[in-house]
Amino acid sequence: MLHFQPPTDSPAWKQLQTYAIKVNETDIKQYFEQSHDRFRKFSWKSRHLLLDLSKQRFDKQVLNSLLDLANERLLEAKIEELFSGISVNLSEDRPALHTALRAPSKPATLLTGINISAAIHANLDRMQEIVEQVHSCQWRGFTGHSIDTIVNIGVGGSDLGPLMATTALSDQKEPQIKPISVHFVSSMDGSQLATLLKRLNPARTLFVISSKSFTTVDTLANAETAKEWLSQTGSADITTLIARHFIGVSANPDKMTHWGIPESNQLLFWDWTGGRYSLWSAIGLPIALKLGMSRFRELLAGAHQMDQHFRTAPFSENLPVLLALAGIWNINFLKINAHAILPYDGRLKHLPAYLEQLEMESNGKSVTQDGTAVNYNTCPILWGEIGSNAQHAFYQLLHQGTEAVMCDFIVAANRYQDHQNDQLSYQHKLNTANCLAQSRLLAFGDSVLDDNTKIPPHKRYRGNHPCTTIVLDELNAYSLGQLIALYEHKVYVQSVIWGINPFDQWGVELGKAVATSLQSALDDNSSNAFDDSTNGLLHHIASLRGA
Amino acid sequence: MNITVWGNELIAWTTAASLAKHGNRITMVPDAEATGSTDLDQKVHNEPGLLKLLEDTIKSGHLKVVTADEGLHAQRHFFAFSPNKSNSATLIASQLSNLHPVGLWIINQSNFGVGSTDQLQSLLREDKNQYAAYMPDMLSEGSALSNFQQPETLIIGCCNEAANEIKAIMRPFCHSLCQWLQMTPKEAEFTKFANTGMLALRLGYINELANIADELDVDIEVVRNGLGSDPRIGRHYLNPGCGFGGLHFQQYVEGLSGLMSDIRSSKLLDTVLRENDKQKEQPFRKLWRHYNCNLQGLTISIWGLSFKPGTASVDNAPSLKVVEALLAQDCKVQLHDPEATGIFRRSIGDHSLISYHQDPYEALESSDALLLLTEWPEYSSPDIENICSRMKQRVIVDGRNHLDKQQLEQQGFSYYGVGR
Repeated sequence: MLHFQPPTDSPAWKQLQTYAIKVNETDIKQYFEQSHDRFRKFSWKSRHLLLDLSKQRFDKQVLNSLLDLANERLLEAKIEELFSGISVNLSEDRPALHTALRAPSKPATLLTGINISAAIHANLDRMQEIVEQVHSCQWRGFTGHSIDTIVNIGVGGSDLGPLMATTALSDQKEPQIKPISVHFVSSMDGSQLATLLKRLNPARTLFVISSKSFTTVDTLANAETAKEWLSQTGSADITTLIARHFIGVSANPDKMTHWGIPESNQLLFWDWTGGRYSLWSAIGLPIALKLGMSRFRELLAGAHQMDQHFRTAPFSENLPVLLALAGIWNINFLKINAHAILPYDGRLKHLPAYLEQLEMESNGKSVTQDGTAVNYNTCPILWGEIGSNAQHAFYQLLHQGTEAVMCDFIVAANRYQDHQNDQLSYQHKLNTANCLAQSRLLAFGDSVLDDNTKIPPHKRYRGNHPCTTIVLDELNAYSLGQLIALYEHKVYVQSVIWGINPFDQWGVELGKAVATSLQSALDDNSSNAFDDSTNGLLHHIASLRGA
Repeated sequence: MNITVWGNELIAWTTAASLAKHGNRITMVPDAEATGSTDLDQKVHNEPGLLKLLEDTIKSGHLKVVTADEGLHAQRHFFAFSPNKSNSATLIASQLSNLHPVGLWIINQSNFGVGSTDQLQSLLREDKNQYAAYMPDMLSEGSALSNFQQPETLIIGCCNEAANEIKAIMRPFCHSLCQWLQMTPKEAEFTKFANTGMLALRLGYINELANIADELDVDIEVVRNGLGSDPRIGRHYLNPGCGFGGLHFQQYVEGLSGLMSDIRSSKLLDTVLRENDKQKEQPFRKLWRHYNCNLQGLTISIWGLSFKPGTASVDNAPSLKVVEALLAQDCKVQLHDPEATGIFRRSIGDHSLISYHQDPYEALESSDALLLLTEWPEYSSPDIENICSRMKQRVIVDGRNHLDKQQLEQQGFSYYGVGR
């Protein structure tokens, strides 16, 4: 039975509203004064990942009501629906089974009675064959030379996930693997490809075309450019060139075949995998090519550990649930509508962009699953940057601006242990100190100083900004898998509280259709079919292009 | 003289046998670390005449294989270890220094790198007549005995005090000697590197020229003749082919390449080595292009597995890379080599798609192409009618420019050489 009651009707929601009035008069600092073991009470660990919510603006009473809210929103049943393959994505009438992609083959996941684990693992095995063929230098280009460069062409989930993970794990390559250059190309305007192709050797380059539908115009435009670049070598017919230099990853094999990719070069995923949840599927091929298949399997194992934790741990110690509820409290009760992702680790530089898509494309919705408009906030604006770099950019606003922001700090405890360079260890310590210092300052403001009574107004730090800190034992494939699955499930929990569908993205569709009509208008140069602004811009551009 | 020879390299056995032949009492320690591996190196079996000489000298009592402890008694030592055994050498040199306070001569023939003999000397005491010298290993597989016993030049890296003793040891082999070049150990070690590096550069250069000649539709054999006619250049080591191999040659080139990279950040020899690795797959690539990038299920014959003719060694041989590449494309591979099939089989492992043949023509049965990878003399004038009758497709990739291109083309073969 689906539950479309608005959350605002639930008793816990009302209770939380009354708490919010009280909490608005309380500083984080005061919570720490009231309790000397707040860290112990408000931090939880699951394998290699620690979640610290002690610098959030709540106490046990609030947290208990948030847990009540989760129960009143039937979260437990909703989690089971997610894992068991029920159509949780109502607008597209399909399940969201990214958790099955990282589950072991046994026990099998069944979807309408069909064992999908078998297909998933067969596809993983095929992926492994391709990876091993490339790593053993036996994937041959048209000249017979082995491939040493991969270009992933994809956009959105087909780009951000593999890009984020290969960058995050760049120092985790399996040692026996010969280094392979992996590049990512996504932009529709071809600017990345134009620069890249100048310095690549066509004989040794393999393109991975990743698109769930295999109709994504951005991706296909880039793929066509790559195809033309290869054919300009004039050294083999186009069918041969595609067979030796293109791999397709898609849920649409017919479209791949139509484009020319032979069946042997096709890797599949399925319509029940959302694009932004697809890095665990064959979309992760560049990760395995760069780092090795065993690293990719470790990534899956880390995510699977978080899945199991999410599915079985009581909500009061369930990391994704607690992280989500802290967000709900900040967004819906403390009215904070901005969320900064601040990894203190250069390797996680693409994590903010990845989470921007994961959170905002999933929960940037304003109608519930039954189409009713919501009268409460859903996903906040999310952005971020490597923390230490952001200190020199937007931390000014965090500390002294008018906008309230909740912040997630992410840091790895251990790094550079195998390095001989002591200076690098020092840099890691410096970085960690800055991470802890900034969350402390955001939470407590200038009260951290011995005497803050004589500070002039322009130097004041008012503090009281809620902060989450996530500490990984170290950043590796397993802990990254845990981290990403943590955020995925957090997003799901929030969608359940808000009653919205996190697995569709209708807000990105209409633009594509409108762009198609504008494309022909750019060609004929004479259109007046649009609004006055668009017509004006079209004419201006036409005049500059010399039409 | 009582002399101990340490190591299990070809140079160790050649030195031991040659010295024993001339009446010295030789104790031989092939297994200094007592790992139990006293098996003769395969290269000894492959080396013409060596096994017989070893048997004769053992029988006569001049050569005895002993344990490390027994080997320490002599005052004169040859160190002929493999490159990864420098720790053993250091340990033994220290022990010897303590045991022989009135005279000790260590002649190092191992490839431990430039400066390593000086390091051995630092463990010894010159004031007690303890000396370490370097004598480069100039053996060529297939002609090791004559290389050692009739050298035209002897390069010795040692101080004057040690020179007389080394001359005395080497005296029986100096009849045809034209040059005795004495220098410091470090200079001698570097000379050995320089020598090998020069040869590698010449081979790398001619192969590069051959690859360009392929693209320019020029016959590299004609160009090579022109090039070699210049007396400043000469004709030796200018045969283009599908890459050089061999264990020691590669090790010395890698040693110098490492030195260049460490000291000068120079990629000169590294490039030669990498290009050579690519060159080894060149016959595969020619076949790949001939069959339009699809070799699935084809039957491919290979003549020649050893890294050069006259040896059974397949160390760093192109055949290993080519067969691996063909197997990865699911080709059936039919192999022939006059000597190296056994070693090749041990090296690559058993595989259902590989068959070995005693007769070169049997290896051509129903074949889609013949790849010639080693220029054994027995391949140079093949029975073309026999070839034609057995092969399914008339395709020959000649990785050593060993066959008559014109004749084969007249018989309707698609012929691919190196640079012609």
